[in-house]
Amino acid sequence: MSADGTGPERGPEGNTAREWERGPYVESTIIMTTVRVVSPFILTLGLFVMFHGADSAGGGFQGGAIAATVLLMLAFAFGIEPVRDWIDPGTVLILMAAGVANFVLIGLGAIALGGEFLQYDVYPIYHGTKYSIELIELGIGAVVAGVITGLFFLIAGGFEAAEPIEDTVEDES
Amino acid sequence: MSDLLPLLVASPILAAVAVLALGYKFERVGWPIAALASLVQVGLAGTVAARVYGSGRTVTYELGGFRPPFGIELVVDGLSAAVAALVAVVALGVLAYARRAGPRSIAFYTQYLLLVAGLSGMSITGDMFNLYVFLEITGLAAYALVASGDSGRAAVGALKYLIIGTVGASLFLLGIGYAFVATGTLNMADLSVRLAEVGYDATLVRASFALVVAGLAVKTALFPLHTWQPEAYASAPDSVSAFISALVSTVSAYAIARVIFSVFTVDFFAAVPAARTAVLTLAGVSIIAGSALAVMQTEVKRMLAYSSVSQFGLVVAGFALANQAGVVGGTVHLVGHGLMKGGLFLAAGALAAVAGARTVDEYDGLAARAPVLSGAFAVLALAMVGVPPAVGFVGKWYIALGAFEARAWPIAVVILASTLLTLAYFARLVERMYFRRPAAGTAPAGAAVADGGSDRPAGLSVGMVAVVVVVAILAVALGSLVAEFEQLMQPTLDTLLQL
Repeated sequence: MSADGTGPERGPEGNTAREWERGPYVESTIIMTTVRVVSPFILTLGLFVMFHGADSAGGGFQGGAIAATVLLMLAFAFGIEPVRDWIDPGTVLILMAAGVANFVLIGLGAIALGGEFLQYDVYPIYHGTKYSIELIELGIGAVVAGVITGLFFLIAGGFEAAEPIEDTVEDES
Repeated sequence: MSDLLPLLVASPILAAVAVLALGYKFERVGWPIAALASLVQVGLAGTVAARVYGSGRTVTYELGGFRPPFGIELVVDGLSAAVAALVAVVALGVLAYARRAGPRSIAFYTQYLLLVAGLSGMSITGDMFNLYVFLEITGLAAYALVASGDSGRAAVGALKYLIIGTVGASLFLLGIGYAFVATGTLNMADLSVRLAEVGYDATLVRASFALVVAGLAVKTALFPLHTWQPEAYASAPDSVSAFISALVSTVSAYAIARVIFSVFTVDFFAAVPAARTAVLTLAGVSIIAGSALAVMQTEVKRMLAYSSVSQFGLVVAGFALANQAGVVGGTVHLVGHGLMKGGLFLAAGALAAVAGARTVDEYDGLAARAPVLSGAFAVLALAMVGVPPAVGFVGKWYIALGAFEARAWPIAVVILASTLLTLAYFARLVERMYFRRPAAGTAPAGAAVADGGSDRPAGLSVGMVAVVVVVAILAVALGSLVAEFEQLMQPTLDTLLQL
């Protein structure tokens, strides 16, 4: 591939014809292998950061973002379309909904047990405050991971194939 | 203690999640859940308001059992109870209207419920940073709602709203940061004490006031900072325009009042007269410029949007006068304007649905084609102008009275002039509706599509007309209840104004 893009044949977007046909995805054994090896570790790191939200630096936002990068990496290694087909959109949705519901329900549960909204220490479990906060952090992590994944595939979805951008709906009459 | 306060925020959020999760499987589940949640919201807000007005005392709630000022506190006094009740009632009305008028997607109902949660949170929180969080929830839900129109115009309007709204929220956050640096606290009640200790002449405190008010003025859409607003209102689907115009700016204006009276307090105004003058000037300019711009519009929804710029100038002027009559007037006009403007947008949407009329010219002879809706529109328009005994009149009357009592003559003149200016743009519409024949050869159905308005199934539901008529009746009837409302507000006013 000519790096400076001065090849004779050019596609509609100014890139070379070959690049236009092939799309942005390049299959590479090195990337695929690396991603395969690294993914479980990154997911573990994400969970680690989430679980440490209560008593050290970390938390749901950071952990969720790290966990979501796993799917982003898979998309870079194996192509966005296959990964998108592999993910069930329902799962992503449930991830987001469950995270929010988890937060609200823990808050309401404290009221049901006779405390204030989100008063963790009324939960009759060992270290109730710590584990309740950690559960909430996990929920936040789920929301963040779900939203990042969802947004990524939603935005990436706009650039598939040569489908026209839907901006011409107005002149129907 | 009242467990109901967190439920005001938690229950719409839970309903939003339910709509999102169940809506994925069952397409039609959105409206029933949203309706149920809205009814619950009205019940909750009504109960809280009844308790606050009944006892004459402030209801507070400590979240998570952490004692304020360290924990987050929810506080409902006479002012916030009125706003929270307005949010719940308007949301229910808009939902009844949206059942036929749409948008009917799951995304709409989810965003609608999140917006209700954000607005309720803004009205009842007693913590500055919590206020910012709810401001952002409100903002994000509102951007998404504007973008839910299916035209490219709605997308551009939403993007503009997103960018300018984010700048406003950032200014607000910066202001909170300054106050936090100066005092080390975020609780409003605590801030009011600590800011006085730091001294009102401290640069940090003054800068904080300027940034917080500027940020909220962007969200309220006062004149030089209003640029996001007309396009956002005009390009959004009709139900969304009504919902946002009635509530989002209203709650932001409420937040300005809350910051002035509960955080910086009237002592700050006494110590720094320039701050009061600046807010009054901003409000005065907004009144005149908003009206002048409204007169020049050809599209009805844009005209209503600019009218809001002017009316919120009035509301903020009432609060900035910082005397009894001014604050009562500001509160009454805040609530009254929310109802009237929401009703006007709904009526405009219904008229567009029945006759395709979206520009001022197309309103010629509408009264003959849609007598009930035209009547309601005219009543609401006249109420907004300030014809007695409507609520619009009482609100403006009190604000003018406050201006006289404060001897703020320029602002008094502006307020009286604003009534004439409001008449200028509404009389034009009412005259066209009742005293002109429709121009020959107009194709109303085509016109609706040509301006990029939301296409939706033609026709009206009984619910759409009923909501508009009920709002028109309320706009007239509430005017006579203001005297009682002032009585109920008295304990709150004593606290806010430190009488």
